Amino acid sequence: MNLRGGWELIKKSYLGWMASRGFFWTLTFGWMVPSLLYLFVWVAVAGQGQIQGSTRDDFIVYYLCLIMLNQFTYPVCNWTVGDSIRMGRLSDWLLRPLPVMFEAIASDIAMKMVCTPFAVTVTVVLAFFLRPAVHFSPQSVLFFLLAFLLAQVLRFLMAYTLALLALWNSRADALLDLNDSLVFLLAGQVAPIALLPGALRALAAVLPYRYMLGFPIELLIGRLSTTEIWQGFAWQCAWVIGVLFLYRFVWKHGLRHYTSVGG
Amino acid sequence: MWYYLRLIGSFLRASIQEETASRVNFMLNILNTILSLTTGVLGIVILFHLVTTIQGWTFPQTLALLGIYQLITALQNLVIQPSMNSLGGIGGDAWTGRFDYTLQAPVSTQFLVSFQKWRLWGLVDVVLSCVILGIALTLLGGQLGLLQVAMFVLALCISLLIVYAIFLLLTSASLWQHGVPLVWIFTSFMQLGRYPVGIYPGMLKLVLTWIVPVAFITTVPVEILTKQVSPIMLVGGAGIALGLLVFASAFFRMSLRHYTGASS
Repeated sequence: MNLRGGWELIKKSYLGWMASRGFFWTLTFGWMVPSLLYLFVWVAVAGQGQIQGSTRDDFIVYYLCLIMLNQFTYPVCNWTVGDSIRMGRLSDWLLRPLPVMFEAIASDIAMKMVCTPFAVTVTVVLAFFLRPAVHFSPQSVLFFLLAFLLAQVLRFLMAYTLALLALWNSRADALLDLNDSLVFLLAGQVAPIALLPGALRALAAVLPYRYMLGFPIELLIGRLSTTEIWQGFAWQCAWVIGVLFLYRFVWKHGLRHYTSVGG
Repeated sequence: MWYYLRLIGSFLRASIQEETASRVNFMLNILNTILSLTTGVLGIVILFHLVTTIQGWTFPQTLALLGIYQLITALQNLVIQPSMNSLGGIGGDAWTGRFDYTLQAPVSTQFLVSFQKWRLWGLVDVVLSCVILGIALTLLGGQLGLLQVAMFVLALCISLLIVYAIFLLLTSASLWQHGVPLVWIFTSFMQLGRYPVGIYPGMLKLVLTWIVPVAFITTVPVEILTKQVSPIMLVGGAGIALGLLVFASAFFRMSLRHYTGASS
């Protein structure tokens, strides 16, 4: 592990991006809007009476957590890695004495450092205006942190693996769009998973998307039973391992297809 | 006038040639539209499987609103967005300095900036959003009078004028300050127009009505089709559209005087 090299990569990307932070804050705002939209929709709905036991405050807490978590787990490599492969920048990365994945991880961390102040400000302002009653137990916070870490790894790996498909076909972006739509529907953005209609809820429980976003928040809010908690963790770990194998496979075979562009 | 129409014709031809070069884009574009429509419709279905109305809006009415939102975005992406984006977007003409050539052309610069680039695949989006709107209207039942249809078309034109004026305003602003894609902020706000503006809390509702007039852009046309709307809303909307248009054109000309070129 070349940690110093990794840190230098983070610093490089961070400084480069702070130079155009207005651009990235606009981007951050764009990522926030769907969650924000459904926050207001559900708050308006809950204002007419409880929805399956969820009150207005429950929805506010859920969606404010979602905005922050989505910000932290959103994979930047979604778009940058595919572009770098198409433009031939991957050649530079291959020559470095560092694993290629370091570049993607570094830009991911740096991007989050640039965007976080903005996301935190918006969330705090919203919390100040909406004033939900919040209560988290220490145990659920612990569970949350663990699930959050796994969610971060899972979402990043999934996006990175899909972006690597550009090694075969330069139009792999369509799959990324599909992936984003599924995150929106099945990760708990359009509605908390518990409120989805039966078939979609069953689908969400076995697909990886819930474990990228919704599951950690459900743990934090503390509505899950002990069995549900362990089932969730089991699925989450299984998906991390599964996607890890998928990544190894795609990287090993994809690299042989890579032919550089540009000089 | 004839001259300008002929120019639009050649812009259209150039765009067709550019786009037919990569046919994959066509399929990708359809896929994108279908995804965006499916997630939109499913979102509404999920919501209405738990409640029957939201702030007085029923399922078909909310679906109609989604159809209108998609229709206006599709029309905007047909010519307004691609043209303005090729000037003020990332790596656009204002960025690279190619705008200097646009300025030298012997036609109105605002005309060139507004109509120079078309994305004709967007017509598929227009058709698909009309299908959604059609389904919603069928679910609603009831007859549409001729007057209602006329008012609807008028409201749609007003909406597009407002969208055009805002794009022109924000693109002009990008001549002053590169690097912040202001248009994206507007399109993000526009997304809030997928649901009735009435559901938002007070402050945001005011912003969405008067500062980013999403309320006039999406809510008024659908209210004409599904509820009773007094013609005063249309007159008000037309007033806002004209006011914005005059202001945006003035600001555009001012920005042109400020523009000093980007090439070295």
